[in-house]
Amino acid sequence: MGRLLKDIFSFEDRPRFERIGFLIFILIVLVFPWIIKSAYGRAVMIKFLLFALFGLGWNLIGGYGGQVDLGQAKNVGFGAYATGLMMLWWNVPFWVTVPVGMIIAAAESFGVAYPMFRLKGHYFAIATLCVALVWKELFVFWDWTGGARGVEIPIRPTPNFTYMQFGSPIYYHYFIFFLFMTQLLFMNWFRKSKLGYECQAVRDNEDVAASLGINVYRTKVIAYTITGGLGGVGGSFMTVYYLYIDPDFVMPLDLSILIAMTVMVGGAGSIWGPVIGAALLIPLDMYLGAWLGAQKRLGIDFMIYAVIMMFIAAREPKGIWGIIERMRKKRA
Amino acid sequence: MELTTQLIIYGVLMGLVFALIALGLSLIFGVMNIVNFAHGEFLMVGMYIAYLLSTFLHLDPLLSLPIAAMAGYLLGIMSYHLLIHQILRGPMVAQLFGTFGLMLFLRYLAMYIFTPDVRSIKQGLLVGKTLSLGWVTLDLSKSVSAALCMISFGIVYWMIYKTKLGRALRATSIDSEAAQYMGIDTKKMNALAWGIGGATVSLAGSLLAHFYYVTPTVGMLFTLIAFAIVALGGFGSISGAFVAGIIIGLIMVISGHFLSELKFTFVYIVYFLVVVFRPRGLFGW
Repeated sequence: MGRLLKDIFSFEDRPRFERIGFLIFILIVLVFPWIIKSAYGRAVMIKFLLFALFGLGWNLIGGYGGQVDLGQAKNVGFGAYATGLMMLWWNVPFWVTVPVGMIIAAAESFGVAYPMFRLKGHYFAIATLCVALVWKELFVFWDWTGGARGVEIPIRPTPNFTYMQFGSPIYYHYFIFFLFMTQLLFMNWFRKSKLGYECQAVRDNEDVAASLGINVYRTKVIAYTITGGLGGVGGSFMTVYYLYIDPDFVMPLDLSILIAMTVMVGGAGSIWGPVIGAALLIPLDMYLGAWLGAQKRLGIDFMIYAVIMMFIAAREPKGIWGIIERMRKKRA
Repeated sequence: MELTTQLIIYGVLMGLVFALIALGLSLIFGVMNIVNFAHGEFLMVGMYIAYLLSTFLHLDPLLSLPIAAMAGYLLGIMSYHLLIHQILRGPMVAQLFGTFGLMLFLRYLAMYIFTPDVRSIKQGLLVGKTLSLGWVTLDLSKSVSAALCMISFGIVYWMIYKTKLGRALRATSIDSEAAQYMGIDTKKMNALAWGIGGATVSLAGSLLAHFYYVTPTVGMLFTLIAFAIVALGGFGSISGAFVAGIIIGLIMVISGHFLSELKFTFVYIVYFLVVVFRPRGLFGW
């Protein structure tokens, strides 16, 4: 037990500057809503934490596992719809819907992972994309999910911790920060766990991993299943934060890409990578998008993303974290 | 009976267009083992060229064929030299993201220039005309487009299998290193594959624009259709792409007739089932 807690909470194996940086980051996030009063600034912060949360989950399969999954939005959708529909139909409290959404997303991931991991590389990536698109089309097609009209959550007048509905964004800020921290601590445990090392071995060289006695297929399936479950959490949050979901909002292809991209830009396979990527891309997206949208210049923000993406792919496949690590090694 | 005939004919016609779209993807994959996510965006470029010529210069969209092919060729060559060549050495993840970035760039460049509005070609020699063949009535633009696609496919097929250049291309595709020892400039072959891929798909786009609406986001759908075709035909197989194109065309038209909301879903499911249960496709090795 003590060992487990130590694995979860301890960052001792990381260098000192990382631990200091992490502490500063926590302090900034904690005081943020008391310094920034503008609603827009707070919304940017919440969206940043949400995408950092998504990125942490995706990093498990995409970064540590080395399998490019372009369908994480389907898991976000499962989480969002589980929360939304259960609240709408049966008034189920939020904290019950989260594990249900996670289980549904994980079960679906497990189901498709089984045939899908017969594939590698490009084939796998395209297959994940196809699966996510099929789910999105089905959610539009079905009536019981609300179809293309989506699901609207009944608004509750008073702040409510059972259904996690609040009037003020400050509550949501700490709420998403709590979810983010649990996922970060989970990933901190994961990277030091046996499964974590197995994933990294599979990523680096499947043949060598297999010859060391690792069941490559099983490792990938488990990693993909966990990633599915983790994706659901953010989806549940989206439902109670935005109070409205539809397939185009919670499970589009763009969301899958953005999630994968924040991790790639920040640095796949490192614990801080998703946070750095989201810290760069989300404010860029929100401010640039708002500014350019006001000038009726649609699309420039995505073109800038695309250039960043191509540059990272061609020059820095390890992302920003790769650059930081290299600079540090040079100094040492 | 009449309906069945009509559906089958339309399926085959669409399939011939799809086959030309998938040809470039299959060729690029065969020669350098890289998947081009921006393939559908090359198609979109061809569609916009046809649209611009017909709307602003009042030229017949058929005249855009050589221009679209030329533009596609240049776009392919440029993409290869500026981006693909750089990411070839990197890990697979980087390759995926590189072409994905190219896709996003072209898509949102079109969004910036043309706004997200849905556009279609209003006038042209073939637009809106029908062809009556006794018991069935055919859309003239679809029929002629399909025929032109088949001819273009034939030309590329001939080039790859009957000329010396094509032989060099095939040699590169089988074993790039060995081809290099034989004195083949493999870098040039790679660029050529991208050029041909861009030219054929852009040409198909300018034909497709005759009867399909144009938006900046139209590409992704056709990229996925092309993936499904290439997977079904066998990655890198040219004749496989032809047969699989027709099969996918039939699946889409027939399922679309009965369940129009889910017609693309069937294509994705076909891809999924084929890669999982028969990864080498119908004609792959």
